[in-house]
Amino acid sequence: MIQFEHVTKVYETQNDENVALDDISLHIEEGEFVFVLGHSGAGKSTFLKLMLMEEKPTEGRVFINGQDLTRLRRRKVPYMRRQMGVVFQDFRLIPTMTVYENVAFAMRVTNISTKTIKNRVPFALSLVGLEDKMDRLPDELSGGEQQRVAVARALAHGPKLIIADEPTGNIDPELSMDIMQLFEAINKVHITVVVVTHEHELVQKLAGKYHNRVITLAHGQVAADTAHPGVAQQYEARMRAMGMEPVLL
Amino acid sequence: MRFSSFTYLVGQGLHSMKANRLMTLASMGVLTVCMILVGTAFLFGVNVDAVVQYMGSQNESYVYPAEEATDEQIQALGDQIAAVPGVSEVVFVSREEVLSQWDSMLSEYTSLYSALSEDNPMPQMFRVSVQDVGQMQSIVEQIQALPNVDEVSAAFDTASTFLSLQRVVNYICIGLVLVLALVSIVVISNTIRITVFARRKEIAIMKLVGATNGFIRFPFFVEGTASGLLAAAISSGIVCGAYYALYRWYLEHPTNIGQLFGGTLVPLQQVWYFVVGGFVVFGFVLCGIGTATSIRKHLNV
Repeated sequence: MIQFEHVTKVYETQNDENVALDDISLHIEEGEFVFVLGHSGAGKSTFLKLMLMEEKPTEGRVFINGQDLTRLRRRKVPYMRRQMGVVFQDFRLIPTMTVYENVAFAMRVTNISTKTIKNRVPFALSLVGLEDKMDRLPDELSGGEQQRVAVARALAHGPKLIIADEPTGNIDPELSMDIMQLFEAINKVHITVVVVTHEHELVQKLAGKYHNRVITLAHGQVAADTAHPGVAQQYEARMRAMGMEPVLL
Repeated sequence: MRFSSFTYLVGQGLHSMKANRLMTLASMGVLTVCMILVGTAFLFGVNVDAVVQYMGSQNESYVYPAEEATDEQIQALGDQIAAVPGVSEVVFVSREEVLSQWDSMLSEYTSLYSALSEDNPMPQMFRVSVQDVGQMQSIVEQIQALPNVDEVSAAFDTASTFLSLQRVVNYICIGLVLVLALVSIVVISNTIRITVFARRKEIAIMKLVGATNGFIRFPFFVEGTASGLLAAAISSGIVCGAYYALYRWYLEHPTNIGQLFGGTLVPLQQVWYFVVGGFVVFGFVLCGIGTATSIRKHLNV
């Protein structure tokens, strides 16, 4: 589903080079639920931006669904993005539109017929348990509810892949668990889910319960991967060789 | 694109016009003023053209044959004048006809005819009309070179004055259209820029959920061209209405100078489709250009 092949991303500033990702290779299978864990500055956002085609890698290649994103034409980018659903930390709902309109709007702009939209929006909202709040404005909802609207929007066009960027970052801790469990439920119907977050306590609790794969990023490298135990040892050895202390979460 | 998407996008564009109604109103106001100025210049130009044409048809030159020429020579001269390129009409006027014309003009004072018919002093002549007033000079020179021509009289001055006036009016019209076109493009592109700014969040979300660039741009084109077409409709009404009123007023208040220029303006029926069509094209094309430039610059898609 998602494949990183020796991906390096360097941001060039005026007199400095900032290595955000350093030779990362990893493979996420279809139907997997993966947490990508890391402190700020570990390379999480860059990892995300590469998948969302907001940035291109300096070196290496990124594949989604077998399509090489580094060789994708600009014109094709929108069609690639339609294959995934994205959930953000700040929800990104349009405040002047009702809950229903927010979900319908995202489907509209991808050229879906009015009839399909009318059927699909209530269904998507019922999946996240908000079918009775369709006519509310986002500001009238709690943070957790707003994020569920965003999840419904990401699901509405039937993507095979959901990418979430700190989905619990703006939500009360008691409600974070609800959102995460929503993603677990989505994963049950064979949708690949990638959740990028820094909340390792929450991740440990969930991963222990649902046996999810956890990929840890540090210093722009893969520091640990529960699916490949050898990765952590390699990372530790690399760090020691460079005279640095490995970061463990 | 689906039809439902198309109607949705058109609706979005119109909705955005309503949401930014103050800005839309301002830009439409400027566009309307631009169009009224262009339309006025055009109608003025059309009327100057008409006057010049009228003067051309009225501007008859008189060719006086030599006194000693025989009737056959005069008749041959008539054929030769008619053969000069650019001459549209040649009419021979005999001495008797000239005399009777003068006689009827002065009939209230005296009877020229009875006094002079025995020994008519009036010259015979050809009345010559030209197709294009601009060629009058060279035509007159060619006629003068013909045999048995005594004298040619032509009213160059009025003709050349109107010709240069026509040229100046044309230049002013073209300059005005260019300047106002630029103004319109800037105004529309500014309005669209504000709309883009107001909707930047929506645009970012649209991009993320996979809207194509065309889909994102379309409502802005609807907004831009709709303001253009609305401005075209308003200015068509104003310009045509005002022109019709002026036309009626001119007919009902004839003046001597007016009579000299043909006595009538070009009727609205002959020009309204140029005005309306021109405004529609002006509004559509310029607003399209204005929208395109601002989208390219500020939408970054």
